[in-house]
Amino acid sequence: MAGVKQMTSRERVLAALKREPVDRTPVCNPTSVATVELMDLVDAPFPDANREPELMARLAETSYTELGFDTIMPVFSIIQESSALGCKIQWEQKDNWPTVKMREPIWEDADDIRIPPDFLTHPDTACVTDAIRILKKRYGDEVAVVGKTMGPWSLGYHCFGVEPFLLMSLDDPDKTKQCLDRMKKATIDFGIAQIEAGADALTLPDHATGDLVSGEYYERYLKDLHIEFVERLKIPIILHICGKTVDRMDFIAQTGMAAFHYDSKNEPAESMDVVQNRISLVGNINNPETLFSKGPEAVRAEVEKNLDAGIHLIGPECAIPLQTAIENLKEIPIAVKEWTKN
Amino acid sequence: MAELNDVQNEFIRTEIEEYLERPNEIERIIDVFAQAKPEMQAIAAALIDGDNGAVDEMTKAALDAGTDALEVMDDGLISGMGIVGIKFRENFIFVPEVLACARAMKAGMAHIEPILSASGVEPIGSVVMGTVKGDLHDIGKNLCIMMLGGSGFIVHDLGVDTSEDEFMEAVEEHNAPLMGMSALLTTTMPNMGKTIEAFIDSDMREDVKIMVGGAPVTQEFADDMGADGYGKDAVACVELAKKLLLELKAEKGQ
Repeated sequence: MAGVKQMTSRERVLAALKREPVDRTPVCNPTSVATVELMDLVDAPFPDANREPELMARLAETSYTELGFDTIMPVFSIIQESSALGCKIQWEQKDNWPTVKMREPIWEDADDIRIPPDFLTHPDTACVTDAIRILKKRYGDEVAVVGKTMGPWSLGYHCFGVEPFLLMSLDDPDKTKQCLDRMKKATIDFGIAQIEAGADALTLPDHATGDLVSGEYYERYLKDLHIEFVERLKIPIILHICGKTVDRMDFIAQTGMAAFHYDSKNEPAESMDVVQNRISLVGNINNPETLFSKGPEAVRAEVEKNLDAGIHLIGPECAIPLQTAIENLKEIPIAVKEWTKN
Repeated sequence: MAELNDVQNEFIRTEIEEYLERPNEIERIIDVFAQAKPEMQAIAAALIDGDNGAVDEMTKAALDAGTDALEVMDDGLISGMGIVGIKFRENFIFVPEVLACARAMKAGMAHIEPILSASGVEPIGSVVMGTVKGDLHDIGKNLCIMMLGGSGFIVHDLGVDTSEDEFMEAVEEHNAPLMGMSALLTTTMPNMGKTIEAFIDSDMREDVKIMVGGAPVTQEFADDMGADGYGKDAVACVELAKKLLLELKAEKGQ
């Protein structure tokens, strides 16, 4: 803004994550920018772009080179760690995300939890660290490269199955805490590996969403673990939780996380009121109804609503729908730049 | 009209006082419980509390004592699940608690279903449910199934990653008047529309009312794809299923 010298994309993102002055609000998607149109443009289609480092890097960098975002996020799905832990994956084709087969859980009890010795050298985790190295070599300090490490709550859904894991959380809180404590090693190890590969920040999805569990659950099961992640992963962390979360944003703001990636089910101004500048907010352009279904004008209106509320980094609420038009995505940085001028 | 003090069970009275806010629902639920036997109220209370062991024992005891299976189902299990649904809709409870209540419902129904089946009692309707092709997420669909089951519907669960052909075959096989499709992903949501088109192409569209739901789905999407209705959550799914069933009966002049 006025009085702030022009920044590189990387500088802009890192400053916004610390709530320091920026030359303009950065544009960021901490989850995924992959679309079918972008896959075709750079010949890096799913599912291969989730499994081959060069294709992963090539598709990821389009967020900077084609869309004009200030970040590059090479992890397009939430399956990399779960695959390395032993979950079965349905890889799908170009027009769909790979998904963990959660109806075929690999663990039933805390004692079943094993982080395999090859966890970080498994092709699906190594792909991410290799892609980050490629991107850092290409872009250096020009743009922020954001990695992704899944939190233990999300890993619990994948490895235990959603219903068994949620029932366990009600039936046996101590066992649930023990499971989370054992699974956190995967989160920390993969996070450190990405930091060593050069990641500037990390997204940490941990889906304790208001669509499934209460805000009190977040405090009971995750707040302390998230504080520990902040202590042990020594770069800015962007927590991502989909859905209604305003009832737990106060707890989230107490963790020391750099930012929270929030969903369009939460109002920007109300969310800012809750977090009281203790954490940056990233978001929250609606995916299915706006980016996927409407045109640039509707996108612009949501961007401006976020900017008017003082949101620190603007971007889609979650992984962009794969069939989203590039025109709509390009509108996000255009709208941010024009709002800044005015 | 019954009053709160006409409900004998203290737990149920507290639930009504603490969690029910809409006057029409309060009135309806007080009426239901005021006429229910104390044993049925106790079953409902245990179900609301998610105590599957107690529901199991009390249901068996009630049936052994000669209580009609339909009475146990309606006054004990379904009436209890009614309060669970309202608490879930209003965010007093969340999915883990609903799962526990559904587990209790299942424990009770394990005793009741064989009796109803043997005596030829018809369910209020049958529904085919599935998550669409390419989508492996099922918690939303499963919650709908639990609530539908808790309201007296028979549900045929096709699971996840369900093809158009699988939906059509199931509707035909079970002669189901209702079908529900779920999707969590924006990438798989269009498969709902494709499935509806497949029903049209096979001249089966008039045979079944189709409901859709899931995180990215809206009423607008539902209308565009030609669905008969959209439910934003599991409670809305049950209300929609009942409404569509009535429409179907009216269309057939029943």
